Amino acid sequence: MLSIKNLEAGYGKVKVLHGINIDVPKGQVITLIGSNGAGKTTTMRAITGMIKPTAGEVTLGGEKIDGYDSHKIARLGLAHSPEGRRVFTTMSVTDNLLLGAFPRFTGSRPKGDIKHDLDKALEMFPRLKERRNQLAGTLSGGEQQMLAMARAVMLNPEIILLDEPSMGLAPILVEEVFKIISNLKSQGVTMLLVEQFAAAALNVADYGYVLENGKIATHGPASKLKDDPAVKAAYLGGAGGH
Amino acid sequence: MDMLAQILSSGIAVGMIYAVIAFGFQLTFATSGTLNFGQGEALMLGALVGLTCVDTFGMNYWAMIPIVCIFGMIQGSFVELIGVRPAIKIKSEFGWIMSTIALGIIFKNVAENIWGRDALPFPSPLPMEPMSFLGANILPMEILVVVGALVMMLLVEFFNRKTIYGKAVVATANDRDAAGLMGINTSMVITFSYALSSLTAAFAGVLIAPLTLTGATMGGALGLKAFAVAIIGGLSSGLGIIVGGLILGIVETATGFYISTGYKDVPGLILLLLVLAYKPSGLFGKSAIKKV
Amino acid sequence: MMKLKSSIPLLIAIAGLFCLPLVLQNPYYIHLAETILIYTILLFGLDIVVGYVGQVSLGHAALFGIGSYTAGILFFQLGWPIWITIPASIVVTAFFGGILALPALKVVGPYLAMVTLAFGTIAQILINEMTWLTEGPLGIKLTLPELMGAPMNVTEYFWLVAVFCILALIVIDRLVKSQMGRAFEALRDSPIACDCMGVSVYRFKVIAFVISAGFAGLAGCLYAYSEQYISPNTYNNELAVLFLLGIIMGGRKSRLGAAIGAAIIVLLPKLLDDINLFRIVASIIAVVVVIGAAMALSKKVTTPRRVVVPVAGVVGLAVFSFWLNSIADWRLSIFGFMILLVVYYLQNGIVGFAKSFYQSIAGKAKTVRGGDAEVVDDSISFISAVGNQNAGAELLKVDSVLMQFGGLKALNKVDLSIKRGTIHGLIGPNGSGKSTMMNVLTGIYVPTAGNVLYAGESVVGKTSSDIALSGIARTFQNVQLFGEMTAIQNILVGLHHTFKSNMVEIALHLPRYKREEAEAHARAMALLKFVGLDDLANEEARNLPYGKQRLLEIARALALDPELLLLDEPAAGLTAPDIQELLRIIRKIRDNGITFILIEHHMDVVMSVCDTVSVLDFGQKIAEGKPAEVQADEKVIHAYLGA
Repeated sequence: MLSIKNLEAGYGKVKVLHGINIDVPKGQVITLIGSNGAGKTTTMRAITGMIKPTAGEVTLGGEKIDGYDSHKIARLGLAHSPEGRRVFTTMSVTDNLLLGAFPRFTGSRPKGDIKHDLDKALEMFPRLKERRNQLAGTLSGGEQQMLAMARAVMLNPEIILLDEPSMGLAPILVEEVFKIISNLKSQGVTMLLVEQFAAAALNVADYGYVLENGKIATHGPASKLKDDPAVKAAYLGGAGGH
Repeated sequence: MDMLAQILSSGIAVGMIYAVIAFGFQLTFATSGTLNFGQGEALMLGALVGLTCVDTFGMNYWAMIPIVCIFGMIQGSFVELIGVRPAIKIKSEFGWIMSTIALGIIFKNVAENIWGRDALPFPSPLPMEPMSFLGANILPMEILVVVGALVMMLLVEFFNRKTIYGKAVVATANDRDAAGLMGINTSMVITFSYALSSLTAAFAGVLIAPLTLTGATMGGALGLKAFAVAIIGGLSSGLGIIVGGLILGIVETATGFYISTGYKDVPGLILLLLVLAYKPSGLFGKSAIKKV
Repeated sequence: MMKLKSSIPLLIAIAGLFCLPLVLQNPYYIHLAETILIYTILLFGLDIVVGYVGQVSLGHAALFGIGSYTAGILFFQLGWPIWITIPASIVVTAFFGGILALPALKVVGPYLAMVTLAFGTIAQILINEMTWLTEGPLGIKLTLPELMGAPMNVTEYFWLVAVFCILALIVIDRLVKSQMGRAFEALRDSPIACDCMGVSVYRFKVIAFVISAGFAGLAGCLYAYSEQYISPNTYNNELAVLFLLGIIMGGRKSRLGAAIGAAIIVLLPKLLDDINLFRIVASIIAVVVVIGAAMALSKKVTTPRRVVVPVAGVVGLAVFSFWLNSIADWRLSIFGFMILLVVYYLQNGIVGFAKSFYQSIAGKAKTVRGGDAEVVDDSISFISAVGNQNAGAELLKVDSVLMQFGGLKALNKVDLSIKRGTIHGLIGPNGSGKSTMMNVLTGIYVPTAGNVLYAGESVVGKTSSDIALSGIARTFQNVQLFGEMTAIQNILVGLHHTFKSNMVEIALHLPRYKREEAEAHARAMALLKFVGLDDLANEEARNLPYGKQRLLEIARALALDPELLLLDEPAAGLTAPDIQELLRIIRKIRDNGITFILIEHHMDVVMSVCDTVSVLDFGQKIAEGKPAEVQADEKVIHAYLGA
């Protein structure tokens, strides 16, 4: 579905990614974990067009999308729940969800039944249903995270990118968020999950990649990575010989 | 008491014009963080094009309005394409400030050459006899100005709230990057907001033209006052602009009456300076938190 | 000896200037040249605001007018002679420049432009309306000043103006090369870093406007006598835009640019009045640009796409001039087009363009690598060693600090105790409040509750600038160097606090200033050598490789002679060898007794260099202790990795 080859990217003079390779097969949940500063968010931004890669290739469903503008990539069916949620704070929950389906309104993506999908999304996220007319800016961090994910679902996408959904959330909310991710997984949604919380991410994913200083340090089936000491070292150091 | 009513009614009419022009500033500032320093000239061109339609082509005032609006949209898109888009691309604030000023100067000069330097009268679609209301003399045209301005602003609000395209504009204003992630072409949204901004200015031009004289110089002072209103009200608050417009209009009319017409413009400008000195985000605006 | 050689062209120019009226003979042309000199003085001043502080000012026509009217009023109402009206004009206009600066303190960009526009409009209205003082629209007539009993003739007045122009040139040149000029540029490049380096943004904004206005006042006064008649409608917004066009087109931050710009804006309207002359000049310019573009294209210095618009523009202008019979009516449109052209294609003005064009054609190396780096004196102690007495005593106490933004508690009652001579690490996951803490400690945020005590005194409510000067220096997570300034200039801004000399001492190059400048340069070079950047001293900061930029920021912070150094993610984006270098530098600084607070994500850095580590999560401190203890702490592992 989504394929990343030898991706290099950075900000101005600072090169953050030094050639990474990730493969997201259809119907699977792939996770990209690593400590802060490792380059996870940069990877997401390079895939979704928020920054332009300096080298390498990103392919979505066979089409090369590296260098495309964000809106073009979204219209091809890639939904992104960005780092920090970035919900539209001055608009209502419902409006946020409708905007998630924007390409369907304009015809860039198959229209389907938007109203029906809206109701379905509100059923899947009961907290949002309660607050559907509230301004998104008044929601708590956890609720905003749900909104960002629901908004991504509204696109009826080929693949959803989730960027640090647990960031800044209390543990109990993190649990709820990951329950929803499991739920989506069971519905067959293809996902690329970027997370700082390695444990929760590896629990829900099929396959994982560990990013360290802009390179893939190790990768493998999620169940194997869970017990790999290299993962802990990537976060808290102590493995020596960097 | 009569005097007060007169000042209020004249002030409200003038204030609403300022508000409508300031509204245009808000539209572009919200989506792109830029403003058209030549907004007054957009108004002036709208008024002059309207005058040509009515005088030279013998059009009906009401039929002329949509034509002026379309002209405004084209003019606004032109300003964005030539003056603003290149500056946003090279991330130069200095760039769009200077180029919108330059375009304003060019438009004014072109207008002078096409329509001459004299101030021209604009035929009024409504009778020019003042009506008496609560002791004040109100021209029917003044009522049209207030109604027209409010209707324009409400129409845009309706567009923003009820249509998906309007919501896309609001989303772009709220968070440009996230809007792009939704599949919204934010460059086009910005061009559109400039088109809409000049549309409202041109519309304001044909509203106010019958009340004053129309000419190449009418834009300058109006543009500056509209700035003042936009700053005083706050560039992020629609209600603030209306309140700011009314305050400025009334204060200005009162000054013109009690002190002298020469000093009319001064209190508004001083108010602008005070607001910029103490609360730059405007009376109704929200202060931004510094992120380092 | 070297100074003399480079001043020969200048001396020739000055001699030429004084001979000019003798050559020109015709009073009309002498007056034209005089106006150019007067506008040059004004543009010198405008350049401070536009070129150095980097803002748009639409108020300088008004300041020019205030200068003219001060002279006019004193002449007309009181009959005072020129040797009083000149200083009076300078002082009065400088005063109004200060008033203009006040509403401009907190704003930049378009808001600041609006402040100047409003100011300009108010000034023009007041001059027009206060007829009892200014004679309003009637204007004021002046006569040429007297020299030894008899009124000056045209040539003598020209020499007077020329003398002032040269004096203005010397003063402004010395000012912009001094610590004041560096402060102005720092203002433009990073106001936040400026404040944190002890250079108060508010103060220097006012100073910039005041000095700029002083020049405008001098120009205005000389203009009044030159024209022998002044009226309010001269000093309008159109003139203000014209001044801007002049300085941008001539070239910012350049004395020659100001002169060229002045010549353009004085001569251009005259040129436009004479259609035949205009056609000739437009055609010549079109030919020159086309040839230049062809040359540049053939040497592959540029692409067809980049030259198509300017070439089309000047050729179109030449064609347009032949089509019209009179171009005077289109004067303003021509100005408008020139502004557009300059803003997008000639950003560094004619002077800047000529420099880079010459370099690219002649194939010269684009950047100068440390050419003038002076010999470094190893005996200089460039780090003010903080005495090792009191090592271990508490230097900074953070007492229950609460930092709330709306509903979000970025810092939730955090306590910290930083001991002298230690390196104290501050770690935690994203969004835990680390950078917020830095900003609270340096006065960028004022805490909602709680206290911060530095050496026993509370710093809450103090300005960033004062906090910096009292001994707390910092670096930034996103590098905040003064990008357009060179490496050594960045350090010199950090050394601003060592300069006590004032404007007069700078203008006259008095001994104290020269000494301070020399000492600061020596110290700056020593600091650069310490971080290994001495061979890049004259390189613009924004061109330095990322790792070196971070080291430069540390060197700049050291220039403040701090007791406490706050480093915000110093290792971010650094390669492994760079990190080793960083650690070496940090240890050497610590050996001089300076205390550190270090925010870092690189665990290796934290482990190897910190004495104590505090861990934040969700704005609260969840662990504290020696690095190894913290690394093994369950709560910390959970905060980073999750269950």
